[in-house]
Amino acid sequence: MVSTIQNTDVKQKDSARAVVVAVSSRAVFGSGAGDGLYGMGVAFPLLQALQRVNERLLEENPAESLLFDVVLITTDSQQQQQSSSIISSTRHYGLEVSRFCFSSEEDFIESLIKNNVQLFLSTDRNEAPQASQKGVLSALLDRHVAPSEQLRVMFCGDAVVQPDTGPMPASRQAAQSFSAQLGEMRRRFGMLDSPLSIVLVTSRGGRESCGGALRTLRSHGLSVDEAYCLAGAPRSPILSVIRPHFLLSDSFSCLED
Amino acid sequence: MPHMIRKICFYPRPQNAVTICVSARVLFNMEKEQQIYEQQGLEDYIKYQVEHETEPFSPGPAFSFVKALEAVNTRLRVLYPKSEELFDVVLMTNNHSEKTRLINTIKHHQLFIEHLCMTGGNSPIGYLKACHTNLYLSADPVKVREALEEGIAAATMFTPEKMTKVSETQLRVAFDGDAVLFSDESERIYKAHGLEKFFEHEKAHENKPLGHGPLKGFLEALGMLQKKFYGKGQRMDCPIRTYLVTARDAGSAGYRALNTLCSWGVEIDEALFLSGSSKGPMLEKIRPHIFFDDQMTHVNGALEMGTVACHVPNVAYNPLERDFKKKPIKRKYI
Repeated sequence: MVSTIQNTDVKQKDSARAVVVAVSSRAVFGSGAGDGLYGMGVAFPLLQALQRVNERLLEENPAESLLFDVVLITTDSQQQQQSSSIISSTRHYGLEVSRFCFSSEEDFIESLIKNNVQLFLSTDRNEAPQASQKGVLSALLDRHVAPSEQLRVMFCGDAVVQPDTGPMPASRQAAQSFSAQLGEMRRRFGMLDSPLSIVLVTSRGGRESCGGALRTLRSHGLSVDEAYCLAGAPRSPILSVIRPHFLLSDSFSCLED
Repeated sequence: MPHMIRKICFYPRPQNAVTICVSARVLFNMEKEQQIYEQQGLEDYIKYQVEHETEPFSPGPAFSFVKALEAVNTRLRVLYPKSEELFDVVLMTNNHSEKTRLINTIKHHQLFIEHLCMTGGNSPIGYLKACHTNLYLSADPVKVREALEEGIAAATMFTPEKMTKVSETQLRVAFDGDAVLFSDESERIYKAHGLEKFFEHEKAHENKPLGHGPLKGFLEALGMLQKKFYGKGQRMDCPIRTYLVTARDAGSAGYRALNTLCSWGVEIDEALFLSGSSKGPMLEKIRPHIFFDDQMTHVNGALEMGTVACHVPNVAYNPLERDFKKKPIKRKYI
């Protein structure tokens, strides 16, 4: 059973233009609601960064409709019973969440599709690949990264350079349209002092792979701020300097290191 | 497992290689673009770079140095096909909008650079550390100071008006002594109390090794690679040659310098004691690919005579612990 509740504290976004980002509530709030209020989870800084991008977009243009539209997905049966705590915690922290979706673990993907979710973020190692297989662009949230104020989105270049043959898998299509929207958002800001930074990392292959990935992303309408070509060097030292909020890749092999 | 690139040869991992991080502004000539940035601002700079994306940059002062590093690598790969003890050149830039142009330029000049760090406005320091940098070369003295303060060997590279032709087969690196290879303890005495006191001090401490300077580690790394050639009977034909070019004289002061190197177990191929005379003419004879000095007068003197000279500013620094006696990693690969 899938149910959706609107957050009346927050102005609803233009569904035709907004970039819908679904985040699992377990990632935002962690576990345990003492006094009916949850503590801040791993995804908290991410939500604040998304919010800051929206604020800056509206500063540039108060009529802006290309905004992040954040939806909280709750699949955890425990948390479902605490649905009022999730809603009240969201309000308590002033999080800009427009909708709450409650579903079971079996039909959470249905709720993602119903809500036109363009990006799904979770800390669950099963949920993210499952959603990806059904064509929803998904990413695992990085638990270990120290948060930054700027929203930092990392693309794993090894998955970006694609063969030209064959039909495009649904998740690649989703990745392309998300890239285009992100690119358009990024262009609202100048080179310096942007609330959003796009980072490309190619782990395998040499500089030609990196060059190819830059060209591919550019053809999708996305210009990259930072690019790192590692040529086989281990990734974790670089990741701890880059501090991305999440990594986008077709395959989840991007996360193994 | 070391990573194969272009199925030609593998690429060494930073922790096993001698990692040299070079700023794009010193590897290539970007003067025109720099001028546009300074005089017309960021937007015009970006526009210019995008319009000239397929136009390769011409070589900068670090170019021949990097080519010589590659020549050493080529010879090392023949002798030790499975070793990662090679030079790893990382191209660093924190400018926007020149990523594709730089990749096109590397290809145009047939440089074997596969490791890129394009930080888009962020400080390079975190990345320098993550790459296990053995030497950082930049045109920006602020970044060089920051790197030195973090214990990373670094120097500000300048461009001579006319560059002398240097060897394509033998890498030649020249170092000043005090405050570069050695600590600045004696130099401070000279500055505060004059030449007489300096000589007295050196004589009194003849047998006491000097402290470490910021580029000691880099010299040791070069020595480690040199020994790999000696081990295969190629001492006479070694493609790496190191020089000490110091204002110290050949008396106690010079003796102390040599004694210090000896106590560190570090060899230097040629030691030139100039007793205070200008370094330019001597460097012109040696023709190093790169020369490091902490005094701008010597850096300028070298530049005037066509040597690529780098300034190592005096900063209080804490060297990162690094062991250069790395064990070669034996790997089987397909």
